[in-house]
Amino acid sequence: MATIAGSASRNSKQAGAVRVTALQLGIVAGIAAVIAGSLLEVRPPDAYGICMACHGRDLLNWTINRIAATHLTIAPASLVFPVLTTIGVLLGAVLGSKTSREFRWSSPDNSLKTFIYGAAVMISALIAGGCSIRLLLRSAAGELLGLIGFGGMIAGVALATLWLRWRATR
Amino acid sequence: MIAAVATLIIGVILGYLGQRSRMCFVGGIRDFILVRDTYLLRGLFAFGLTAWLAFPLVGLVAGARPGPFAVSDAATVLFTVLAGFAVGYFSTLANGCPFRQHVLAAQGVKSSISYLVGFFAGAVIFHSWIERLLLRLLP
Repeated sequence: MATIAGSASRNSKQAGAVRVTALQLGIVAGIAAVIAGSLLEVRPPDAYGICMACHGRDLLNWTINRIAATHLTIAPASLVFPVLTTIGVLLGAVLGSKTSREFRWSSPDNSLKTFIYGAAVMISALIAGGCSIRLLLRSAAGELLGLIGFGGMIAGVALATLWLRWRATR
Repeated sequence: MIAAVATLIIGVILGYLGQRSRMCFVGGIRDFILVRDTYLLRGLFAFGLTAWLAFPLVGLVAGARPGPFAVSDAATVLFTVLAGFAVGYFSTLANGCPFRQHVLAAQGVKSSISYLVGFFAGAVIFHSWIERLLLRLLP
């Protein structure tokens, strides 16, 4: 568990690097998600402004459908042209890490393990109807089912954390 | 087309801010349980509260608000709670939510790139097999 909060890398020591707190990102993301969903046509479904799982799925399936003439599921918001959140986040994070000189190749974890975790998270997110971000976004929009999924997610995080701690102290 | 451009721009902004802030949407709960650190948890609360306030406010401008949402049957509720649980559980084991994994992959973390490959493989697996199975199980 190398990435527990309080690790030395949190505050960039790079002179001139822009510092942003999680709180600030939360506020920006909340406003952006609502505006995207309500004003900028990232709908239907409702509360679809930001979702790393569904938007990634839309982009992937849209591309496969175009190339192979298949009919994989796409959210109505992505039918004509797919939402590009995935690409945007990757570009933005490259920009952030390059400008602060935090970009470096590393592999802190077993890649086969993270591959399996990635697949597990995507499959569960598509069943639940959203990644951690959209489950909270749906809750904020007043959808009871989203709140139920978010509650399940909190329980999952809590249990996994306790399991990691138990394994580390055993 | 508007949606594509909007999500691209919002994505770049959030990707940049996410890289600078190290935001993770499951890490806050984990850090609070482990070491009572609230740095990431504040981001989670801020996101939920801002969106909760912004939905009705933007609804005034847009003239449309989310919902009313359909009433769900017991099977859907059960699947949602179990799948939500799995999202949290596996995200914590993977050391970060999908958003954080995208950011890490973009700053050169190879295990997170491999996470993303698995992530998109998961979408293919879901739509090839699991979706059909679910449609048979759900009324």
